Amino acid sequence: MSAAADIIRVPKAPTSAGWGAALVALGLLLACAAPLGLNGYGLYLLTLTEIFALVALGLNLLTGYAGQISLCHASFFGVGAYATAILTQKAGLPYLLSLVAGALFTTAIGALVALPALRLKNIYLAIATLGFGVVLQKIIFEWRSLTGGGGGLALTAPHIAGYELGATGLYYLTLAFLTVGLFGAWNVSRGRTGRALLVIKESEIAAGSLGINAARYKVTAFAFSAFYAAIAGGLFAYLVRYINPESFSVGLSISFLSMMVIGGLGTIGGSILGAVFYVIVPELLRGIKDAPGLVFGLLLVTVMVFMPQGLWGMVRRLARRSAR
Amino acid sequence: MTRLVIEDVSVDFGGIHALKDVTFSLESGSIVGLIGPNGAGKSTLLNCISGITRPTRGRVQLDGTVLSAMSSAAVARHGIGRVFQHPELVGDLSVHDNLLIACHRSLDYGLVSELLRLPTVRQQERAAADKVASVLSRLGIADSAGTSVRSLPYGHRKLLDLGRALLMDIRFLLLDEPIAGLNDSEIARLGEILLGLRQEFGLGILVVEHNMPFVSRLCDRLVVLDLGQLIANGPPAAVLSDARVMSSYLGEVADA
Repeated sequence: MSAAADIIRVPKAPTSAGWGAALVALGLLLACAAPLGLNGYGLYLLTLTEIFALVALGLNLLTGYAGQISLCHASFFGVGAYATAILTQKAGLPYLLSLVAGALFTTAIGALVALPALRLKNIYLAIATLGFGVVLQKIIFEWRSLTGGGGGLALTAPHIAGYELGATGLYYLTLAFLTVGLFGAWNVSRGRTGRALLVIKESEIAAGSLGINAARYKVTAFAFSAFYAAIAGGLFAYLVRYINPESFSVGLSISFLSMMVIGGLGTIGGSILGAVFYVIVPELLRGIKDAPGLVFGLLLVTVMVFMPQGLWGMVRRLARRSAR
Repeated sequence: MTRLVIEDVSVDFGGIHALKDVTFSLESGSIVGLIGPNGAGKSTLLNCISGITRPTRGRVQLDGTVLSAMSSAAVARHGIGRVFQHPELVGDLSVHDNLLIACHRSLDYGLVSELLRLPTVRQQERAAADKVASVLSRLGIADSAGTSVRSLPYGHRKLLDLGRALLMDIRFLLLDEPIAGLNDSEIARLGEILLGLRQEFGLGILVVEHNMPFVSRLCDRLVVLDLGQLIANGPPAAVLSDARVMSSYLGEVADA
């Protein structure tokens, strides 16, 4: 038997992992060089893309892997933004420390949101998370003494180790978080947690019969994705330097979901591509007189109709065809 | 020897008695067939044992440990494997990766190690992949390791579901209509696999099946349920000639 086991030791095509690594290296190289060739607005857009990609990466594990729909991720994003801003600006903590502390705080909220969600599925879960999102947004709005309420919070440039973090600095910081986040999400998706989440999406009864505690993993997925959203929020706050509760509405939650689906649900590469599509395409359409929104909407429909596996699915299909 | 004891188990769904005071036991190394007409409560009983349905009264014990208050995941961790009538596999994953899911309990690393993919993670994943490979060759589907489950023939899918149970270091295996939808050679292969498991690991097997020739060839003992009640329990030859069994079950088949 051991001889037979040896022969079939390598079930997956090794090229697929190699391709992935090459793609990541190329992307990273381009991303590192990008500030050299971009003006201020271009750099802003690219930073925003990376921030959204970070949210999509985390959400992908919850929605793409575990099959749990969330309409409150804009609120996690917002809580992360506010927590980071308040800890930095009002409590005077170092920016990086605030970022991580704010994200841990949001992770706890994410886990709490998951508890009632354990009893709900599909559209019912979506509506419950919608409710949570509204509540969180409302709390931010009403807690004026801390958050500035509807007037929002204006932020000054953050400092790291005494140096002021300008647009380029923030860009590289975001890129560093995205790289680490990508690595972590990829590792989790191919480890026991990622596989457990996939089974839970397929059937919770099957998960139970395999000794997998579905409730525990759903909480983990919620908390994990809340952490990613909150780090992204803390970066976003200092990208735009002004936050108010309106920025974190349900519309943004829906945008996060669309990014993942457009990019390719349940794929890491898709989370990145979806964010790129969502930020860059509307910019490219700006020139079209009167109708950029209309064209963007139609593009979304087109992508979904002709690429049900999303942009990443399309890329993979093309790569496979060219490999033949 | 390990004993799985079903003790006065009753299940009520609303006003309906799906199971009424069912008592029998299953020893490691024995193969018991659970038979009875449709609606007799066979699947409900399997669900009770595997923690999916909670008994209204009575209990299920494994060597003195009460299983019937546990979640299905906890029951599985105690070494009770369940193979469903319709295989519940992850369609997007390959055959190999579907089996890897069943190694969940034997992989012992935390989320932080996983995030960083520390050496211990890689080492454990390799060991799990080896276990998967050996189960694949035991089932005779090693060639399909890299195939997506979606494109797998139904018979192979059922084998795969069995393979998942085998990867969980189980002591008892619950099978729900394992040969439904299989062709003759697959049925013969499954029989061989089950007998091999009993001989090699002393596995206790409880199998729900309608196919009488298969059941009487495979099983040491048959337990017959009718309308939620146990009406016979004994060696196949004796049970199949029992008058009550004939009228309730086999009679129905003859009529059909």
